[in-house]
Amino acid sequence: MKKRISHIVLATTLMVSILSACSGNAGTANPENGGSDQTKTLRFATWDTGDALKIEQDIAKKFEAEHPGTKVQVEAYADGFDQKLAAGFGAGNPPDVMYMWDFPTYHQSLEPLDSFAEKDKDLKIDDFYKGLFNYGKIDDKLYGIPAGFTTRVVYYNKKLFDAAGVPYPKDGWEWSDFQDIAKKLTDTSKKQYGFGARAENDTYDLQGFVWSNGGSFISPDGKTIEGYMNSKETAEAIQMFGDMVKDGTAVLTGGKGQQSGDDIFKGGKIAMWESGIWPLESFKQAGVDVGTVEIPAFPGKPVKGVLAESALSIAKDSKNKDLAWEFVKFYVSNESIKMRVADLPVRQSVVNELKKDQDPLYKPYYTMLERSDNTPAFLLNPKWNEVNRQLSAAVEAVMHGSNAQEALNQAVKDSERYLK
Amino acid sequence: MNIQWIRQLNKRIFSGSYRSIRTKLLFCFLIVTLIPLLSLGALSYYQSAKIINSQFGKYGENAVAQLEQQTSSSLGRMKQMSETIYSYLLDPAHTDLRNQAPISYSEIIEKNDFEALLKSLRTDQTAGIYIITPSGYYYGENNLDVAKLRNMPEWKTKPASYKGLYWLGFYMQNHAMSSSGDSNLPVLGLAVPIHNSNGTQNGSTILIEENAQELIHMFKLFETDTKSHLTIKASDGRIVYESASNFTKKDSDITWIRTLAVNQWTIEARLPAKAFYLSSGIIRSNTIVVAIISCLLAFGFAYLFSSRFTARIRTLKDSMQKVSFGKLDTRMPIEGRDELGSLDMSFNRMVSGVQSLVQEVEQSERLKKEAELKAFHYQINPHLLFNTLNSIQWKARLEGADDIRQMLYHLTMVLEGNLDISQELITVGRELRMIEHFLKIQEIRYGNVFSYELNCEDSLKQYLIPRMTLQPLFENIFFHGFTDGIGVIKLDVIVEKNELLLALRDNGAGMTEEKRERLLVPDPKRRGRGGLGVQNADQKFKLHFGPQYGLTVFSTKGEGTAIVIHWPKEEERPDGYSKEN
Repeated sequence: MKKRISHIVLATTLMVSILSACSGNAGTANPENGGSDQTKTLRFATWDTGDALKIEQDIAKKFEAEHPGTKVQVEAYADGFDQKLAAGFGAGNPPDVMYMWDFPTYHQSLEPLDSFAEKDKDLKIDDFYKGLFNYGKIDDKLYGIPAGFTTRVVYYNKKLFDAAGVPYPKDGWEWSDFQDIAKKLTDTSKKQYGFGARAENDTYDLQGFVWSNGGSFISPDGKTIEGYMNSKETAEAIQMFGDMVKDGTAVLTGGKGQQSGDDIFKGGKIAMWESGIWPLESFKQAGVDVGTVEIPAFPGKPVKGVLAESALSIAKDSKNKDLAWEFVKFYVSNESIKMRVADLPVRQSVVNELKKDQDPLYKPYYTMLERSDNTPAFLLNPKWNEVNRQLSAAVEAVMHGSNAQEALNQAVKDSERYLK
Repeated sequence: MNIQWIRQLNKRIFSGSYRSIRTKLLFCFLIVTLIPLLSLGALSYYQSAKIINSQFGKYGENAVAQLEQQTSSSLGRMKQMSETIYSYLLDPAHTDLRNQAPISYSEIIEKNDFEALLKSLRTDQTAGIYIITPSGYYYGENNLDVAKLRNMPEWKTKPASYKGLYWLGFYMQNHAMSSSGDSNLPVLGLAVPIHNSNGTQNGSTILIEENAQELIHMFKLFETDTKSHLTIKASDGRIVYESASNFTKKDSDITWIRTLAVNQWTIEARLPAKAFYLSSGIIRSNTIVVAIISCLLAFGFAYLFSSRFTARIRTLKDSMQKVSFGKLDTRMPIEGRDELGSLDMSFNRMVSGVQSLVQEVEQSERLKKEAELKAFHYQINPHLLFNTLNSIQWKARLEGADDIRQMLYHLTMVLEGNLDISQELITVGRELRMIEHFLKIQEIRYGNVFSYELNCEDSLKQYLIPRMTLQPLFENIFFHGFTDGIGVIKLDVIVEKNELLLALRDNGAGMTEEKRERLLVPDPKRRGRGGLGVQNADQKFKLHFGPQYGLTVFSTKGEGTAIVIHWPKEEERPDGYSKEN
């Protein structure tokens, strides 16, 4: 009996020593941990490029300065973000911290942040705009801390309005006003158009218009698209843009052989352009006298907006979760938010301090924020990406002159199988 | 004048100093050091240059092979991609893909599917995949400006009727919709015209662009690494890529050529022979520098050593020369215990030997001269003497003093022998005859009171003896030995060991030991009678026969004296002169 016990003890100690040896080896073999314990490397993946990327690198450097012995490795995945991120998760070697928007796809690989957020008073969670957290939640678990957001507004070129003697649009306007203005500002001899319609729309962005018309892409429970994606209201909202292209008051942008809408707007060849905050800086830099106004309303219906949000998430496989959380917290601190001019601030205190919501150029974003409480389709159904392919094709066909109702019917028919 | 100067120099180098031991030593040292040094240097240069050149050659070969492999892999990937796309387009299931912008939902679905395929074909290296239709519509990413593309020189070179793969080569990807979108990325382009008379895509062109940054970087790396000039030529001779550097072909260039299996492009790396042999050249120049330095060192050391060495020989030579000029007190300082040192020592010994010999000769010469001078002093005109003695003799006969006449007669005989200086050496017989005359005189003088016993074989009488050596000894006996001439005199002449031995004994007064010792020592202060004759006799023997000969005197006070003389046997020569003369 005693012998057996001693054997067990021996075996256990052996196991422990072997395990500790193994883990020791793993620790030294892992290049992410660096050569010594002093320097830890934190990998941060972003889809940004250009100026936005530079700002992120500056924030990373600041973080390094405040946390000696830490190296933040900013990995700019740019257009290949989704593929590289998926590959990283697949290989079990993801970045520690990453930009995130597609929570339905990735949430299983992400670290739930509720416990971090609750524990950490420094985060001041109440300071964030309400509703931003909705986007980072799956099954009531928080997977991302909002880092930046934008709503969508209508940009207009004041110079073209002045030249045509058309008054600037004002909040509370309707789509009929929009179409009238577009018609007035179209001058085909100058290749100047009232509006720019995207040849290949992101259906996510179109949701604001669909919601404004009382339509939707999917049922509120996320299970049905029949009667939603091809509803009269949905088709109407999309058809409206197709019609504008057809009657020549809008020009197709961003398709094959077509310049992007941002570029055409900068070139002063379209009077109105609908987008988020992203191009604002470049419009200003291009010397366009630009104004912003909220999205027009359909008659008798409330205007709805859609929120584009970038959040920061921590990988489940990260080996430095505490440090990663420190970085996330630093990234959404007032100091960092002020540095990040390409996004709208996510904290009310920063907005108040900078009086952003009182600047006429920025105000529409915040009024649209108040109107962005609908849940986007992709959050309602994890198979949305498959459905979206058909929907995108239908929308594209509409922009090229197809009938919206027919195209959407066909798209619904083709997509039903993904939802079964 | 110049020629003369050179001739002089030549003379100095090759005739004068060439003969000196130092030059010989110098040359010897140089040859001994330089032959192994130079051959070792040459050998090591030859070997290392060979190894380096072959390694560099292999390195270049491998590097080009690597370039070939990288390029091939890019080209192969693109080719494969184009084949996939081509076969997709030939598939009748995809006839909805049109030659212009799709409009309907189904066309757009088809287009999206196709573009999804294109996207899935992309790799990290893919810079663009497009299918450009004749209408100007294209499939692929939305960033292509067809008008810009068609203006690109690389695109223009593509013949309209081309079938199969057309490699556009390397160019900048500058065909984006907006100029700000131009990536300025070096790409490798492949255009594949689609010939499918039934298909809707007939006349379209597949354009595949691959990021060539890495390839070009590799080319550049290769160029800087090997300093060679890289040219990639298509099979039709079109230059696809060429190094930026100025380069003129030379036949001596080292070339590495590879042909790509994929599309028959030839990669040609040319390296000027000068650059190729640069490294071995460095070794060569280093070897030469080292060899020169070693030569100088060897020369310097050889010079130092040989001059130290020859300096000693030269001093020896100079000393010998001095000795030959008569400076006999020349001595060599002895440096070191080597052969030269012992040579110096022997030289010194030899010179001191010579010096003492010369001193001896000088001494004997001086003595001879003194003796001659003395003889000269003693010389009296013999005629006057003899005539006078004759007159006295005749007077004595007339007076009837017969004993005086006899004395004079014997005296004349003695003087005759004494005064005849023409011969220094005379026979023993003649000397003995003279002694008999001398004894006759003494007999007349003292009466018959002494006895004389001669013991000499007749055969010994022919040998030579210095003139007037015995007479002074006899005179000494009568003056110092005997009182009133009474006593016994014995003279024995015998042969002993091929030498003559003469013993003259008397039973007279003898002499003290002190006197006997002083007898034969020449003393310039002692001028007087007694002993001078003995010394004179001794000197005569020594002068004629050598210092080892001469007189030995034995004496006991009151008992008598014995004088022993020994000298070599010498016979009178027929011409009447002894060997000495």
